[in-house]
Amino acid sequence: MGRSSLERPFLCIDCAPNVALDGSCLPHSNCPLDGNCLLRHRGAFIIAGMTQYVIRRFLGLFPTLWVIITLSFFIIRIAPGGPFSREKELPQQVLENIEAKYHLDEPLIVQYGRYLFDVVRGDLGPSFRYLDRNVNFYIFSSLPVSMFLGVISLSIALIFGVGFGVLSAIRQNSIVDYASMSVAVIGISVPLFVIGPVLMYFLSLRWGLLPTSGWITGRNGWVTLIMPAITLAFPYFAYIARLMRASVIEVLHSDYIRTARAKGLHELVVIFKHVLKGALLPVVSYLGPAFAGIVTGSVVVEQIFRVPGLGKFFVQSAFNRDYTLIMGTVIVYSIILIIMNFVVDIIYSFLDPRISYK
Amino acid sequence: MSTQSTERANSTDQLQQAVESVSLGRDAWRRLKKNTMAMFGLVVVVVYTLVSLTAPILPIHSFRQQVLEHRDLPPSFTKTAGELWYERERDYMLLVMEKEDRSTFSASEQAELDDIQQRIQSETREINGEIVMVHTRRYVLGTDHLGRDMLARIIYGGQISIMVGMLGTLTSVLIGVVLGSIAGYVGGKTDYLIMRVVDVMYGLPYMLLVIILMAIFGRSIVNVFVALSLVSWLVVARVVRGQIISLKNSEFVEAARSMGASTARIIFRHLIPNTLGIIIVFATLRIPAFIMQESFLSFLGLGISAPFASWGSLVSDAVERMANTPWQLFFPAAAMTVFLFAMNFLGDGLRDAFDPHSTNRR
Repeated sequence: MGRSSLERPFLCIDCAPNVALDGSCLPHSNCPLDGNCLLRHRGAFIIAGMTQYVIRRFLGLFPTLWVIITLSFFIIRIAPGGPFSREKELPQQVLENIEAKYHLDEPLIVQYGRYLFDVVRGDLGPSFRYLDRNVNFYIFSSLPVSMFLGVISLSIALIFGVGFGVLSAIRQNSIVDYASMSVAVIGISVPLFVIGPVLMYFLSLRWGLLPTSGWITGRNGWVTLIMPAITLAFPYFAYIARLMRASVIEVLHSDYIRTARAKGLHELVVIFKHVLKGALLPVVSYLGPAFAGIVTGSVVVEQIFRVPGLGKFFVQSAFNRDYTLIMGTVIVYSIILIIMNFVVDIIYSFLDPRISYK
Repeated sequence: MSTQSTERANSTDQLQQAVESVSLGRDAWRRLKKNTMAMFGLVVVVVYTLVSLTAPILPIHSFRQQVLEHRDLPPSFTKTAGELWYERERDYMLLVMEKEDRSTFSASEQAELDDIQQRIQSETREINGEIVMVHTRRYVLGTDHLGRDMLARIIYGGQISIMVGMLGTLTSVLIGVVLGSIAGYVGGKTDYLIMRVVDVMYGLPYMLLVIILMAIFGRSIVNVFVALSLVSWLVVARVVRGQIISLKNSEFVEAARSMGASTARIIFRHLIPNTLGIIIVFATLRIPAFIMQESFLSFLGLGISAPFASWGSLVSDAVERMANTPWQLFFPAAAMTVFLFAMNFLGDGLRDAFDPHSTNRR
């Protein structure tokens, strides 16, 4: 067999991020090696106790958030140019007054302390670029839009991804299988910002079926939601469908499914009660990365379809050097991502039969 | 020699062939060759790479020279730029005529058309130090809004996209392999330190950080490349570390150590070659991701800056104007999509080829 010995545990790419410090695998299984990775060889593992696990994970969220805030604060501040540097320079006295107003004249470390204190109280500060508005205002007005789009897209991706994944697995090598897997390959290879404009070209400019842009509060109503949501959902639909197909196929070959069939259960009961439960695990563990992708993807989709969400402010503020607005959007995005990952991990540890509690 | 002994000789030959060892690489190559889609991917990737490497000597127009008369010309194999330009101006005048209820060209319009005809016949321009009959050019894929050849822009855009993809992957893989193998082999405090950094960085929202870096430090190819490499070595480090940990207590490492091999030698000569398969697979799947991310940044206006282009910036430029000039959107998008497809097929094929366990037949 040479050097590629079969008994060596092969670490798969997607599960690599889940390798813990001691070399064992954490709960996960969106495994392109179909589970032939370290996880299988290590077998079951034990977590001290559910409550303890949840509390420990929850407390772990805060240091991560602190690192994000600190890192982005200093990256933004050490860069040359500030929010008030214009092509036409402001008079010295004016500049000094403005800087004093926003405390930019203080030493960096004092500014940092002040900012951290404000954030803890839930105040993200005033916008540096737009007078009389503070960052909280922008975030509260645009976050619901982004969240709504994100949740709708994730739901579309999940429902269709799981549905087509299961269908292609139980009707392997049928037309449904080939069709949905071909669509899935497209979804994985073609970037969002190509799918979006191409959809827009055909659906709205050519055939005039949908409005090009806008948002549900505008005059076009709910139809404006269709294209952004489909565009954003497509890559994740594709990934979930592939994941689901592979995992259903694997579960279908397992002993407990044979037992269920041998008991004489109806095929539908086997699929919905036994197969789905086991096969959903990889999809659940993929939800974390999927949500992260949807959050970053929404920045582009909001740009293409002119959706008045948080993404617009994020890109704009980065261009404008609007320190507090950049920080605010980064913090909000990070909190969403971190909480989402936390929730996914907890759900996962409930579902995975290989995890047992003392 | 009797027939019997010849037969026996033959069968021993066959036996010897059967036990002859096959290296991991050759084994993988044999399996890869059977995978039609992966081979198709490989061919496409090679062709793209060759085209973008030989771009300066290919017979294409300049990618940065603007010929404003030729802006927004549609793709055409048969008609020259001059003819298309003339047609466009004439069509526009016909439209004005219809609006104004006239049936003939006015004197000034006629003069303008004649002037265009005249210029098409004779006008030359200096491009890249050569005198060119500029209106007899043909733009196979049309032109952009500043009269630059789309074909040239797509090829040079591809050059940048592919370069960012490959160099970025190479850098991130190098950083990841070195740090991951040190962490895995040395263990203890070093391991803890490196992996803590990785864990913390892994928790950060990746693209958000890259977007901030790009917005703050300015748009240039080098910055794109640095920002992306800085944040994408983490997974490689984890994979490599995991592999090294599972290998470092095996007999061949012990043998090497007992013969007095140094740590560096063990890591670089014995351990890393054994993890090469998975690294190659990872790198292949990483390149399209890198290209997508670079294009993503360029699309937001945070990546490549003019006059240079990447596939992402070409798509981004085209989106605003796609109602009138759809070819500016479709050709770069198609060029990019085909490459990403090919890269993904190749990566999937390599994964199946390098991993004997994989039952992956997706």
